[in-house]
Parts: sequence; structure tokens; C-alpha cells
Amino acid sequence: MAPLTPYTFIQCPCSDPSTLASSRPADASSPTSISGQERDDDDGRTFDPRAPRSNYSLYPLEYLLYCEDCHQIRCPRCVSEEIVTYYCPNCLFEVPSSNLKSEGNRCTRSCFQCPICIGPLGVTSLEKPADANLLAAPDNAASPPSGPYILICSYCNWSSTEIGIQFDKPNSIHAQLAKMRNGGVTRLTAKERKEKRREAAAQSGTGVPPTAAPTTTGGDGQDLDVEAQFANLKHFYQGQLADANAAGASSLSSLGDLGFASPNSLSRIMSIYTGGSLHDKKAKTRVGTMREALDSDEGFKLADLDESGAIEKLHEEGYDGTVSSEQLSNQPPNVGEVQLHGRSRFASELRPIPYLLRTKRSKRCPICRHIISKPEAKVQTTRFRIRLVAGSYIPSIAIRPLPGGGPPPDTLQPLRPAQFLLTFKNPIFETVKVTLASPATTPGRFASKVTVLCPQFEIDANTDVWDEALNKDGDKERRRRKGEDSGSGPAGGGQAEAGKIWERGRNWVSIVVEVVPASLRPPTISFGKKEDTGPLREDEDVLEIPMFVRVEWEVDAGGDEVGSVPSKDKDKEAKEKRELAYWCVLGLGRVSQG
Amino acid sequence: MSKRHSIVPPISQAGPKPPVQFSSSITIADSAVLTGSNPIVIHSESVVHPRARLESLGGRITIGRRCVVHERSTVGAVGTEGRVTENGVTLGDYVTVEVAASIEAGDTVIGDGTTVGVGAKVGRGAVVGKHCTLTPHTVVAAGEVIPDFTVIYSNGMRRMDKRGVVELKNKGQARQIEVLRRMIPSNPSKFQ
Repeated sequence: MAPLTPYTFIQCPCSDPSTLASSRPADASSPTSISGQERDDDDGRTFDPRAPRSNYSLYPLEYLLYCEDCHQIRCPRCVSEEIVTYYCPNCLFEVPSSNLKSEGNRCTRSCFQCPICIGPLGVTSLEKPADANLLAAPDNAASPPSGPYILICSYCNWSSTEIGIQFDKPNSIHAQLAKMRNGGVTRLTAKERKEKRREAAAQSGTGVPPTAAPTTTGGDGQDLDVEAQFANLKHFYQGQLADANAAGASSLSSLGDLGFASPNSLSRIMSIYTGGSLHDKKAKTRVGTMREALDSDEGFKLADLDESGAIEKLHEEGYDGTVSSEQLSNQPPNVGEVQLHGRSRFASELRPIPYLLRTKRSKRCPICRHIISKPEAKVQTTRFRIRLVAGSYIPSIAIRPLPGGGPPPDTLQPLRPAQFLLTFKNPIFETVKVTLASPATTPGRFASKVTVLCPQFEIDANTDVWDEALNKDGDKERRRRKGEDSGSGPAGGGQAEAGKIWERGRNWVSIVVEVVPASLRPPTISFGKKEDTGPLREDEDVLEIPMFVRVEWEVDAGGDEVGSVPSKDKDKEAKEKRELAYWCVLGLGRVSQG
Repeated sequence: MSKRHSIVPPISQAGPKPPVQFSSSITIADSAVLTGSNPIVIHSESVVHPRARLESLGGRITIGRRCVVHERSTVGAVGTEGRVTENGVTLGDYVTVEVAASIEAGDTVIGDGTTVGVGAKVGRGAVVGKHCTLTPHTVVAAGEVIPDFTVIYSNGMRRMDKRGVVELKNKGQARQIEVLRRMIPSNPSKFQ
């Protein structure tokens, strides 16, 4: 079994039902009241890390953000995101959102991925391999590249010649590709199609819909691709709807002509009083009379059920010539597909994939709407304008087994006490008071005993590293502090003692947690109560401790931000108490199954 | 010639010095490693990069014309079986053995114009056809026979290469060798 590295997950308050009920924006401004309420609700209710809901609320510290105005942790689930820019990951070109609407979410420059292996494609010129004396004259190829260009994958040597596509120009490949089907057959773009239809309509003289007689364009009914078919169908049905509406509209508009005795106006008046049921029925019958598409101009297409061609091809090319479902799913939708029913099955029907655009997003606090993360809008820079990560506001917790008398690093022995060292590191510039609480036994089927030896302690401020190093007094003070607790420190015999800190540094404190892992045998006898005697489930052997962390610190009332310089005009003496409380889960290790 | 020295310590020439048969036009770096007891034959205009290993312990090694054997690659690695055959490894013409690729000995044949990708492994006795491409980190099992123009992906997928640019590729290889000859100081006499 894979060894487990100890981990700490923090629960975002957004998924906590009690906070959901109590956290109104008004309360959010005063964190003390919120957590007071919270604690009342929380009495007798511990957080269960194994509950199915918990899966969605636990995050490593690095994933979490912190809202400075609500003084609350925010997770990726509860922040609201806004897209700052769209860009192509290949050419790093920013795409305006107006283009996005008209041209879709793929790069419309010359960025393509190989349809076979999704490697990036490059444009190269296709030279004529004409000269026979290759070994003799390698210099004659020094002329500038010209002639047809192809896309080529440098990873797997796929080239667009395999699907019969060559380009005349080395730039604006996307536009050229849009006009081409596999095999080099030209394909009408949407614009051209529209124009063509207009011409056809002008020729026939009659408006929409044209009569069912097959027109000159009936010939290419067979290679009607998905886009063309859709356009035709849409056009046809819009015409039909317009007809139906015209009929309906006439009944209303010609009210004056008909007078009150007409059945149309009667139905209209009736519909006013009966909630429209009569009218609706009539409308339905009218829609029912719409006829269906009859020829390819109207988007009608016979299903091609003759698959002998495909079978023949399969015989010829074998399994290697077919596409995998992964390749198919990477294909851009609808581009140049010949027919709806024969969705590409062969590698020769694949198309180069234009790169999907990516986004840079800013994140807002869901409650106060302040921005808590905002990347630089420029695509090339990876910096952030605003980034309030939780790691710089709440203490980080590192776990390691206590050296000496500790268990072997990979598994925990059941029913044998094991000690772990939790190191809390304070990232802010104020001294914080930490209070820990954990249930005496872990929730779940196998209840392990947990004892936090020092549940209340203070962590010094995150001062300048050099202050301490250069300041002799600080050093002395540190020693004093250490000496204060030296009875329990590593210097003092290496014995963990209840109520004492294990070790303390500039901005960190280590404490000891003792656990007695439960035996992993499912209970065989049930005492009246219905107990789960099923076998061990996945990861049920991991010892996870829920722990409630309460952090308290004082800030200058003037300073809006934590650790900011207090403004001059405010009373410097006024200190504001801040408090933050959250559940976290400590994963200590696997309990061995003996 | 270049005064740059590698910070990596020089590889000690371990094992017996093999009998070699070099064409006069080859480029072989001073720090290439040739070991083994069977002959190593390198045909005209081929390039052996520094720190490439040619091991002829498992049989004779033949490298065709205009081949490029890159750094840290091993040609003729004695596999787990350690069987000795007459022809350990045979590389055709225009073969490229990329960086850190490894070709096991034991009647292994790499066809003309084939590229053995970065970190790829070709098992003992495999016969790779002509103009194949083994993409990086591909593994070809021992004894496998691969038809001409096959592209093998590292996830095991295969495909036929239908570009028909053999001539162009050969021309490119020739040009690359032109450059490499100027870049790599050759010292065939060290091995003779």
C-alpha cells in the first residue's frame, strides 16, 4: 500500500450548514458575533471528515483564498469568477470577447493541434522531391520556400497531406482550412452559403418557401455537410414559422375589417377571458399543419444506410486506420463533416484541431463582492494584481511523527499510542492566540482516541527575519521563552507533557498530539443498535482527526487590512480584536490492518 | 577546436576495447564510449555524439551510412538475458538514435531512415522496419517485427506514415550531418 504523507485540509465555511444559516452580510462585518453564534450551533456537533459532504468542502491551505473585508476563508467553490481575458495557449494572443461570440472558442490564427496525438502543428512548405542526386547536392534547397504549405506534427510526423489538405499561403491557415474539406475539396462557408441561397431565391422569383421541385443545387444533396444541412433546415423552418405567424397575425390585425361577428375576433375575445386555452388549441392545430422538409434545399437528407464503403475501407486500412474515441472527442464540432450519419470513423476524416482558448479569471468574494484575486490582464505576464491567499492570513499546520518513541513512518499500529508534532506557523505580523479543539474520539466506524496535549497557545508575530538574527535581545528573549517551557522542550528530556508547548520559534509553535488508533476489525457483535459490520471501505484505514481551530489576534482599529500600517488620524491605542474559527482535518497516516 | 569542457566527469573506458572498422568519413567524438569484444563497424558519414555508448559485448555492431547516434544513447545494450549473437545490432542507413535511447543487442535490426526517439527502448531481437518513427519514450518489445513506415507512440498506438517524404528526410539528415561534422571534434584514431 502506498505510504501516506500527512496532510492538512481546511474546511471552507461556505459548506457549513450552520454558517449558511447564520452568515448574513450584516453579521459578516463583525466576525466575533459570527463565530459566537457558530459556536453555539456547533455545540455537540463535530465535523465528520468522512461524511460524503465533506469531500466538497475540504481544501489544502494553498487552494484557499481569504477575504479581507469579511475576514473569512473563501474556497474555489464559493468564490464567483469573472473572466478577465481569453487567450490562445499556443500563440498567447488575446482574443477580444466580441470575436469570441462570432468565431467561437478556438484560436482563429494558425494554431493547430495534431488530430492524432494533439501535439502542436507547424506550417512547412512542401518541396518537390524531384532531384535525383540527393547525396551530391544538398545546397540546392537553399532557395526560399514556396509552393504548397502543409501542417506537420513534429512529434509523430503526421501531416495534413494525409487528409489531402494543402495550403496556398503560410498564414491565416484557419480561414483557408474553413474553406476546405478533407481531400482538398472546397467547401462553402456560412456566408457564401447564405449568398448562394439568396441568389437562388432571386432566380426562382418566389419567396420562401420554394416549391418542392428539385433545383439546380439538388445535385450536391449527397455531400451536404452538417453545417449546410443545418443552415438549410433552419432557413426552411423559419420560413414555415413566418407563414404560420403571418396567418395568425392577420387574424389579429384585420380586426377592424371583420367586426365583432367574425369567428376570429370571437376566439380572440374568448382567449382574453379563458386564459388563452381556446386560442392555444387553435394555434397548436395551426402549427401542426406545417409541412416537413422535402428536398436538400430545405435541409432534407436521406439517411445513408449503405455502409459497404466504410466496411471496404476498414478492410483496407484495418484497425490502425480508425480513430479512437479520445481523438474523436478532441475534434472540433461540425467542421467539414460530410454527413451526419457517418461521423468520422477513420483517421483520414480527422481535421487539425484549432487550439481551445483559455481564460484568466478574477475571483470575487461571494458576500461582499470584493475582488480577492485578479491576474494581470496581459497574457504574457503571470503576475497577479490582487491575490489574497489564505496562506498569508491563517497559520499553516505541518505534521510529522514525533522523533523518538514515534511509530514507523509508514503505518500506525492499532491500539498503540503514537505522538505527532503539529507545527503552527504564523504568517501575519501580529501575535496570535490559537485554541484547538478536537473530539476525544474520531468520528466514523473506527473511533481512535485523540488527545491534544497543548490546546491553547500563542504564536509570536511574523517579524522580520533579520530583526531576530541581529537583535541580541530578541535572541535572549527567545531563549527566555524557550526556557519558560523548557520542561517540555526537546532539550528537556524529549518527553511530551500535557499543557506545555513542545518547541517554539520566531513565528512558529510546535505542539504534540497523541493518538491511539482504533483496531480496524469491524465489530462482530452488535449491541442492540444497528451497526455497520461491512468490510473495510476505501481509505477507511487512514487516521483523520477533525480539529477546530480558533485564531485570535488584535489589530489596530484604523488599519483596514491585517498587518497594515495604522493610519495616523486614528487613535493608536484602540485595538480591535479579530477572530477566525474553522474546522480542519489532519490526516496522520494509515493504520495497519493486523 | 572548442575549449569548453563538460562538468561531468569523464567516463572511464571500462571493459575491453573492441576491434573497430571505421569509414574514413565518419565523425566520432572523443568522449564516445565503445566497449565489448565483438567488432564495431561504422559506415561512411555517420556521426557518433559525445557520451554515446556502443557496446559490442552481445554481438557485432553495424552502423550504416549517415546515421546519427546522439548523446547518452546506448546501442547494443546487453539485456537481461545476456545472450551473445553474431549480429548484435544492425542500424541501416540514415538512422537517428536520439538522446538517451537504448537499443538492446541480440540480432536487433533498425531499418533505413528510422528515428529512435528520445529515451525510447528497443528490445532484443526486434526488427524495426524502414522509415519508422519511434516517438519519445516508446518501448518496442523484444523480438517484435515492425513494418516499414510505422509511427509508434509512447502510449502504444501505431499509425502508418503516408507522407512519402523519404527523400526529403534523407536530405535533411545529410544537411544535419554537415553541421554536426563542424560542431563535433572527431577523433576516430582513439578507438582504432
